[in-house]
Amino acid sequence: MKDNYLKLKGYILVNWIIRLVLGMTFIFASWHKIVNPGEFAKILYGYGVFPGISINFIAIFLPYIELFAGICLVSGILPRPSLLVINGLLTGFIILITFNLLRGHTFDCGCFSISKNPGNSSVWMLLIRDCLMLWAGVYLWKRFGKPNKQMPGYLTSPDI
Amino acid sequence: MIKTTSIGVLILLSVSLIVSLGVNYFSPSGIALVGQWDRSKGVVTAKSKLDTVHADIEVNNPLVVKRMIQNGGVVLIDARLKDVYDKGHLPGALSFPLADFDQDLAKLLDLVKKDTSILVYCSGFECTDSHSFATQLLALKFTRVRVYAGGFREWQDMGFRIEKNEG
Repeated sequence: MKDNYLKLKGYILVNWIIRLVLGMTFIFASWHKIVNPGEFAKILYGYGVFPGISINFIAIFLPYIELFAGICLVSGILPRPSLLVINGLLTGFIILITFNLLRGHTFDCGCFSISKNPGNSSVWMLLIRDCLMLWAGVYLWKRFGKPNKQMPGYLTSPDI
Repeated sequence: MIKTTSIGVLILLSVSLIVSLGVNYFSPSGIALVGQWDRSKGVVTAKSKLDTVHADIEVNNPLVVKRMIQNGGVVLIDARLKDVYDKGHLPGALSFPLADFDQDLAKLLDLVKKDTSILVYCSGFECTDSHSFATQLLALKFTRVRVYAGGFREWQDMGFRIEKNEG
C-alpha cells in the first residue's frame, strides 16, 4: 500500500511538472504577441496560408487563447479543457509548420520572439519541440481525471 | 465528462475572445479587425494604431517608378541598412537608413529642399521602413514625399537595372 502511495505521488509530481512546463511555455509564448499584435499579424501573413480577412482576427485572438489556456493549466482551473485547447493548438502548429516545410516556404514562426531575420534552419527544431510538447500533452490528457488503478478512490490527476 | 470538457473549452474561448477584443481596442498598439494584406493595394499592414503606412502616398507600379527615375527630378532614398544597400539598390538611390534618420538628417537637408520630389523605398511589400521614413519627412514639412510600395525586391524581380557598391 505504501509503495502504491509513493508511486501515486510520483505520478502526481510528474503530471504536475508537465502541466507547469506546458502551461508556462504557452504563457511565455503569448506575451510578445499580445504586446505587438501588428508584428505578429505580419508573421501570420508570412506563413502564406491564412486568408487576408482572417489574419488580424487570429493575431488578436490567438495569443489570448494561449495565455488563458496556459494559466488554466498551471493553476488547475479547467485543466482538461485547457489541455484540450493546448493540444489542439499544438496539432495546428505542427500541421502548419510541416505544410510550409514540405512546400519549401521560408517563414518566421513568431513562436517566442518577433525576429526580423527568419531562419529555416531552426524550423526543424521547432517542429521537434512542438511534437515533444504534443506528446507530453497527450500523455497528460490520458491521465487527467482517470481513476488510479493502484489506489482505488484516487485520481492520477485533477478532474475538471 | 465530454460535455463538461466542451463547456470548459467554450468558457475558455469566450473569455479569451472578450478579453482579446477589449484589450486590443484600448491598447495603444492595437490593430484593426481587418488589415491590408493585398499586395496589389500596396504595402501590407495590420493597420496598427502605431502604423505609419499611408496608402495615399504610395506608388504601386514599378513601371511608373522606372519612368520617374528616367525622367529625373526625383531624389530616390533607400531606407534599408547600408550594407544591404551596398549589395544592390535602385539606380541613383541614396542610402539613408531609417535607423540613422536623426543622425543623417543634416546631410539629407543639404541635398534636398522641402519641395523636392522624394521617393523612398525599402525591401518590399512587407517592409514599412520606407513609410516610417516618409512619415518623418512629412512631419518636417516636406511636401512631395512618396513611397515605392514594391521596393527593391519588386524592382529586382522585374529585371530592372540595379547598382552595386562593390568592395
